[in-house]
Amino acid sequence: MTSICFYFEVHQPMRLNRFSVFNIGKNDNGFPNYFDDTLNKNIFEKVATKCYLPTNKLLLDLIERFDTNFKVSFSLTGTFIEYCEKYSPEVLDSFIELFKTGAVDLIEETYFHSLSSLFDDLDEFEEQVKLHRQMIKRIFSYKPQVFRNTEAIFDNRIAKKIADMGYKGIITEGTEKILGWRSPNFLYKPVNADIKVLLRNYKLSDDVGFRFSAKEWTGYPLTADKYARWMSRCHGDIINLFIDYETFGEHQWTETGIFDFIKHIPEEVFKHKNLDFVTVGEATERYNPMGEIDVPWAISWADSDRDVSTWLGNNMQIACFNELKNLGRKIKKLENNDLLYIWRLLQTSDHLYYLSTKGFEDGNVHAYFSPYDVPYDGFINYMNILQDIKYQMTA
Amino acid sequence: MKVAMLGWEYPPFKVGGLGTHCYGLTRSLADKNVKVDFYMPKTKHKFDNDKDNLKIIEVGETEIFPYDRPEDKELVGQFFEAVYRYNDLLVSKVKGKYDAIHCHDWLTMKAGVAIKEKTGTPLVLTVHSTEYDRSGWIYPNEWFINIEREGMEKADRIIAVSNFTRKVIIEKYGIPPEKVSVIHNAVHPIGEGEKRNIVLFLGRLTIQKGPEFFLKTAKKVLDYEDTHFVVAGVGDMLPRLIDQAIDMGISNKIIFTGRLTEEEVKHIYQISSVYVMPSVSEPFGITALEAISAGTPAVVSKTAGFSEAFKNCLKVDFWDTDEMANKIISILRYSPLRETLAEQGKREIELFTWDRVAEKTLEVYRGITE
Repeated sequence: MTSICFYFEVHQPMRLNRFSVFNIGKNDNGFPNYFDDTLNKNIFEKVATKCYLPTNKLLLDLIERFDTNFKVSFSLTGTFIEYCEKYSPEVLDSFIELFKTGAVDLIEETYFHSLSSLFDDLDEFEEQVKLHRQMIKRIFSYKPQVFRNTEAIFDNRIAKKIADMGYKGIITEGTEKILGWRSPNFLYKPVNADIKVLLRNYKLSDDVGFRFSAKEWTGYPLTADKYARWMSRCHGDIINLFIDYETFGEHQWTETGIFDFIKHIPEEVFKHKNLDFVTVGEATERYNPMGEIDVPWAISWADSDRDVSTWLGNNMQIACFNELKNLGRKIKKLENNDLLYIWRLLQTSDHLYYLSTKGFEDGNVHAYFSPYDVPYDGFINYMNILQDIKYQMTA
Repeated sequence: MKVAMLGWEYPPFKVGGLGTHCYGLTRSLADKNVKVDFYMPKTKHKFDNDKDNLKIIEVGETEIFPYDRPEDKELVGQFFEAVYRYNDLLVSKVKGKYDAIHCHDWLTMKAGVAIKEKTGTPLVLTVHSTEYDRSGWIYPNEWFINIEREGMEKADRIIAVSNFTRKVIIEKYGIPPEKVSVIHNAVHPIGEGEKRNIVLFLGRLTIQKGPEFFLKTAKKVLDYEDTHFVVAGVGDMLPRLIDQAIDMGISNKIIFTGRLTEEEVKHIYQISSVYVMPSVSEPFGITALEAISAGTPAVVSKTAGFSEAFKNCLKVDFWDTDEMANKIISILRYSPLRETLAEQGKREIELFTWDRVAEKTLEVYRGITE
C-alpha cells in the first residue's frame, strides 16, 4: 500500500507601505503604519473568493462523499489567521468545519512564516513556534504533531530543535541534495535527532503546482485518472504532495480545469487498490524511517536551487537580514510589545523573497508574487523602514 | 546579401544614439558576411574601418544634423533646402545593385523612398526617434511628421528601437502593426572605473531629455546627501538650466561640462556613482546601457524604451522628482543596493550585443528579400 499525503501551505504576508528616505524619522507620534492595509485587504479578499472559499467547499464535499477516506493536511500561518479574523471570518469558519470532519490535520510552523530559524540562536524561532501552537490551540483546540518550517527550510540544527520541542514529524523537500539515489517516498530520520522526516515528492507536487497549465509540458493536459495512474506505479510507503494552497484558483485559474482535477482525484485514486490517503499525523504513526539524512547546510523547497539563496542570495538580502537580526537584539530588551510585533511581521520571509535578483525562470516566479516592479524597489522600501525603526528607538 | 545604408553620423563623428547604433550594426553585419555600403555626409573626420565587407561612402556636405530644428537661427531659410539637396545628392550617388536600402530616421527617408521607387529595391527603415519624441510631445512639427509618415508608409519593413516606439509608429502614424518589428539597442561595454561621489546626467539639453527634472531632483537630494551633480552635454536649454541652478541655490554643487569628447564621456560614466535618465520621451536610451556597462547604477524614466527591455535598474516617472530623489539617495546611502545593481546590471548587459542586433536586423532583411 502506498499512501498519498496531500498537504497545503496557506499563507499571506503583510505587504508594506511605500516608505521613502524622506519618511525616515518624520513620525513624531510613535511608529507609523508600515503595512499597506488597503492592498493587503484587497489581495486577501480576492484570494478568498478565488481560492480559499471554493477550494474549502470542494474539499469538504469530497471528504463527506468519500466518508473521510479522502484526507488532507494544512498549515495556516499566523498572519493568514489574522487576515481571516480581520476581513473574512467565513474563511476561518470553513477551515474549522474542514478540521471537524476528522479527515484534516493541522501542521505547526512559525507564527510569522519567518526566517528566524536562520538566526544565530534559536530562541526567537522557538518563541514563534510556540505562538503558532497557542493560536492553533485557541482556534482549533488542537496540538499539531508535525512541523513544517517556512518554505520547508531544514537542516540538522532545526530538526534537533523541533524534536526537542516534542514533535513527531517534520516536513522538508525531497531533494537529491540530501537523498542522493534514494526515493523521497519513504520516511527518514535526521542523523542527529529522533523525529520522522516527511519528504516532498517535488516531481509530482510540481506537476500540479507549476506545470498543470503548461501546454509545452509532455504531461499536459493533466487529468485525475492520469495522475492517479502515475501514483499507483510509484514505489514506496508514501507520496507527499505538498502544494501552495493558492495554486487552486489563484496561481492556476479556474479556467485551467484545476478544480475539476481535484474533484476527480479521490475517485480516480480509489480505483487503484494499492493507494489510499493519509494525513501528516497518520503518516508518522503508520510508517517508520527507511534511512537517515544528514543536512548540515539548510535546504528548502524554494526555487530550483532548493536552498536559502531565495532569501539570502544577494548582498541586499543579506544586508536586510543582518540589519533585522541586529535590531531584534535591541528590541527584545525594550519590552515594547507593539514594536516586537512589527519586528516580527517584518521577519516574514516574503519581504526578503521580493528582493531576490535571481534571473530567468525563478525570477519570473518571484516577479509574479512581488508587489514591487524590481527587487531594488523592495530593498529601498524595506531598508528605509528598518532605518526608521532604528531612528525611532534612539529618538 | 548587399545593403545600402543611408545614415548621417558615424563615430567618431556623432551626436546621438543613432551614430552609435549605425557603428555597432554595420560592423556586426559585416561580420555576418553582409556587404554594407554606408552612405553619409562628408565630414572632416577619418573613420577607422577594418572590415572588408563594410564601405563608408561620403556624399557631399550638409550643414544639417540629425537633431537640428528648422527654427535654429543659423539655418533659417535654408534648412528645408539643405535637407532636399542632401537627399537629391544621395539619390544620384547610390548606385549599383542592392538587396535592400536601409534608412535611419527622417533625414534620409526621402532619398530612401526615391531610390526604392527608381530601382524597386526593398526599403527598411529604422526609427530611433520620431518628431513626437524630439519635440517632447509639445508642438511637434508637421513638416517632419509628413516626411516620417511618407517614409513609414513606403517602407517594406520598419524596425523600432522599442515597443514604446513601435506603438507610436502604429498609433500616431497609422502604420499596420505587422510591418513593424522591435529590435532593442546594444552597447560596447565601457568597463568600470573608480567611483566618486557624482550623480550624472548625460544627453542633449533639450525638453525631450528632461534635464530640468534632474535639477529639481538634485535640490531634493542635496538636502539629505552631500554629493556632486554633473550635467554633461549641450543643447538649447543650457542657459536656462544654469539660471535654474543659481535660483535654487545649488550652483556650487552642479557642474555643467559642455560638450564632451568620446574619451571624456567614457571617463565620466566610469567615475559616476549614479546615472539618471529622466527623459520625457525616450525611444530607447542607449546612454543607460553605456552607464551600466561602466558599473554605474541607473535611475531611468519609466517611459524610456530602455525600461521595457532592462530589469536591473531603478525605474521612475520622469515628473516624480520625490521618488527620483528617494532612489538616488538610497543608491548613495546603501552600498548593498549599489553593489547588487552594478553586479546584476553588468551581467544583464552581456545580453545586449550588437551581434544580436545584427542577427535580428538580418532576419528583417531576409523577410523582404526572399
